[in-house]
Amino acid sequence: MAVASPTDTDQSPPVQIKDSVISAQHLTKKFGDEIVVNDISFDVPRASIFGFIGPSGSGKTTTVRLLTGVYTPTTGQVIVFDHSPDKFSQAERARLGYMPQLFVLYPNLTVWENLNFAASLYGMGLFRGKRLKEALKFVELYEHRGKLARNISGGMLRRLSLAATLVHDPQLLFLDEPTAGIDPVLRRKFWDRFRELKDQGRTIFITTQYVSEADNCDLVGVQNNGKLLLVDTPQGLRQHAYGGEMVDFQTAQEFDFQAEARLRALSFVRAKTIRTGPNSLRILVDQASTATPDLMGWAQQQNIQVKSLEPYVPSFEDVFVELVRPEVEHG
Amino acid sequence: MANFFRGVIRASAFIRKEIFEILRQPRLVATLVLGPFLILFVFGIGYRDQPRSLRTLFVAQANSAIAAQDIEKYGKSMSAFLVYAGVTDNLDAALEQLHRGQVDLVIVEPSDAASTITNNQQALFVLYHHEIDPTQVSYVDYLGWLFVGEVNQQVLRSFAVQGQKDAVNMHANLQEAHQNALAMRQALQSGDDALALQKEQALTGNVDAISLAAGATLGLLDSLHPAKDVNAGPAQSLLNELRQSASQPGSTAGTKDERLARVDKIDKDITDLDARITEFQSIDPDIIISPFRSETKGVANLQPSVSDFFAPAVLALLLQHLAVTFAALSIVRERNVGTMELFRVSPLSAGEALFGKYISYMLFGGVIATILSALLVLALHVPMLGNWWYFALVVCAVLFTSLGIGFAISIVSQTDSQAVQYSMIILLASVFFSGFIMSLEMLWSPVRVISWMLPTTYGTLLLRDIALRGVDPNWGLLGGLIAIGLGLMFISWLLMRRLIMSSH
Repeated sequence: MAVASPTDTDQSPPVQIKDSVISAQHLTKKFGDEIVVNDISFDVPRASIFGFIGPSGSGKTTTVRLLTGVYTPTTGQVIVFDHSPDKFSQAERARLGYMPQLFVLYPNLTVWENLNFAASLYGMGLFRGKRLKEALKFVELYEHRGKLARNISGGMLRRLSLAATLVHDPQLLFLDEPTAGIDPVLRRKFWDRFRELKDQGRTIFITTQYVSEADNCDLVGVQNNGKLLLVDTPQGLRQHAYGGEMVDFQTAQEFDFQAEARLRALSFVRAKTIRTGPNSLRILVDQASTATPDLMGWAQQQNIQVKSLEPYVPSFEDVFVELVRPEVEHG
Repeated sequence: MANFFRGVIRASAFIRKEIFEILRQPRLVATLVLGPFLILFVFGIGYRDQPRSLRTLFVAQANSAIAAQDIEKYGKSMSAFLVYAGVTDNLDAALEQLHRGQVDLVIVEPSDAASTITNNQQALFVLYHHEIDPTQVSYVDYLGWLFVGEVNQQVLRSFAVQGQKDAVNMHANLQEAHQNALAMRQALQSGDDALALQKEQALTGNVDAISLAAGATLGLLDSLHPAKDVNAGPAQSLLNELRQSASQPGSTAGTKDERLARVDKIDKDITDLDARITEFQSIDPDIIISPFRSETKGVANLQPSVSDFFAPAVLALLLQHLAVTFAALSIVRERNVGTMELFRVSPLSAGEALFGKYISYMLFGGVIATILSALLVLALHVPMLGNWWYFALVVCAVLFTSLGIGFAISIVSQTDSQAVQYSMIILLASVFFSGFIMSLEMLWSPVRVISWMLPTTYGTLLLRDIALRGVDPNWGLLGGLIAIGLGLMFISWLLMRRLIMSSH
């Protein structure tokens, strides 16, 4: 049984992982004296979407390159498909799909020719036209297949890169910020496709700067300054960020200070409450599902007329800020 | 087997990709074909197989031993090399004209030639020029050598003319000697010893006069015939024999028959010598001073024009430069674009990538070579005496080996400009060391090692042999070229393997 085990000891209980496809243990990568990836460990289960989120320069791309064998770790170990990536056979490499952060195909070739080149690199047979067509239709580039890559937009180049990564139907995908520069509608379509691939048994390791996209992942690693702060499910990350779940509590009358003090004294309410208006509070509780009826009962006892009481789901941007805050405050 | 086919598919990705990328640059293709063709075309119509004529000003002092008209005559006699620009006695003014570029050459006549020669020294013509190009300086040296040769010839000619004039007097003396010999013979036959002695004395006087008159004439005469005696030519030997016969003691000595035989011998020598003098007089003085000339005849099947001769070298150099540059930019660009990262993750092997690139550039270079060769033969009428298949084989070998150089450059280069600079260095080395502009024999032997490392060297020699001599290629040379190519391919493969397979 593999375990997602971020190096930060002050974490929620580690996620239990069976049948991991990727296992990174104490990975560190230095360029000169600069530590870009700092002693990170995690496992990626088969048929899952593993998201790696973090600000620009946090070491996400370097981590992807360590996992794909483009870089060798300074210390630590990576195992992918039960092998170190630098010992991969051609057959094992053919099971990978890699989408680098930047467009790395050829500006003087057309969209179709670029995709054809990528398909050939993976040894796809001569009757691959149908696959190329499907891949291009998926990224909505089929109508632009005759255009030179240098003449299409940055977003279209990202889409072409993604098509080139998916065209040979890989088992394990490394996608380095695949949705950067993609419009929201197409991003949603991409994520739908990623989930389909996951359902078909594919494993996806994906990095993103769009923190909100973490919600689409099965597991999320949060990286900052080369360190892996946490690996957990999206829900687990929220709980970890705030120390519990939150409910928004709105009353018909103004909520006075004494009532708020009595509320904080309840056993299932964490010390932290946030005033969101003269008659509304955001309350941190152990579990929103059990706290909601208890809060309703307490309000009736206190003769407080409740206007609304519902769980609050913070955005992942907020979760990310909360998670990174201690790191930032400690310099 | 499936792996093999996948490898072929991966390699084919590069064949298509490289060809498409090149075809997207039609101007580049047009330049590669038309550029060398136009250069050879313009060179062919612009090249003049004539020596450069230098505007030459002569400096002669007023009391010069050589008359101004003679100087003009000398200058104009070399009109192929010199444009006579006049004679002056002011050296400073002449040099000023030279500095201003109004004349190309100033020839200063020796100031006191007669006394210098009398003192057993050569008189010196000084040639001033303003050239810095070593080949032009050599040309001026050569021209000085030609000019002095011309002057010396003119001097010799005057000697020859004088010798022919002197020979007229000799001829008269010989006629008189002949008459005296006949008279002496008749006197001996009739028993008139007194008359015989008288005629003998007259004959001896004639021979002395002939010896005196002969002087340098005999030297000139003998120079026309191969010498049997190292000390004297045939005419001189004849004269010596005559003098010896004529100076024997008393014509009365010996029996009558012995005396008659001696007179006959003297008369025969006189007749022979006269015949030779007559022959000498009939010869053109220019033949006497320059009795020999040379004529070159090549045994090759063809004597090509200068542009024809350079055409195979241009083709070889262009193909080498094309292949080196394309290959040099190829991998460094993959690295700069970032595709190398993609290759590292993909199942592509170094051999497959290199194989694909080799094939694509060989195809492209082959097409360029075909078009260019067709233009050279059909439009510029460059001869093609040999076998086209051998020609194609050499072209392929040049391309193959040049690609190896280019790939090696590309893998060690970090940037486009570095790769281009290395390619230009290879081009420059090829221009100087491949025999393109000067024969390999002009290079110091150890330096020729560089020559034999360049595909152009092999290509030039082999293509010239096939196209202009019509012979089969030198298989040793061709084998050497291919061996270098294989070695470079192996090195490129090792470097490429390290580049693709190794991670950082």
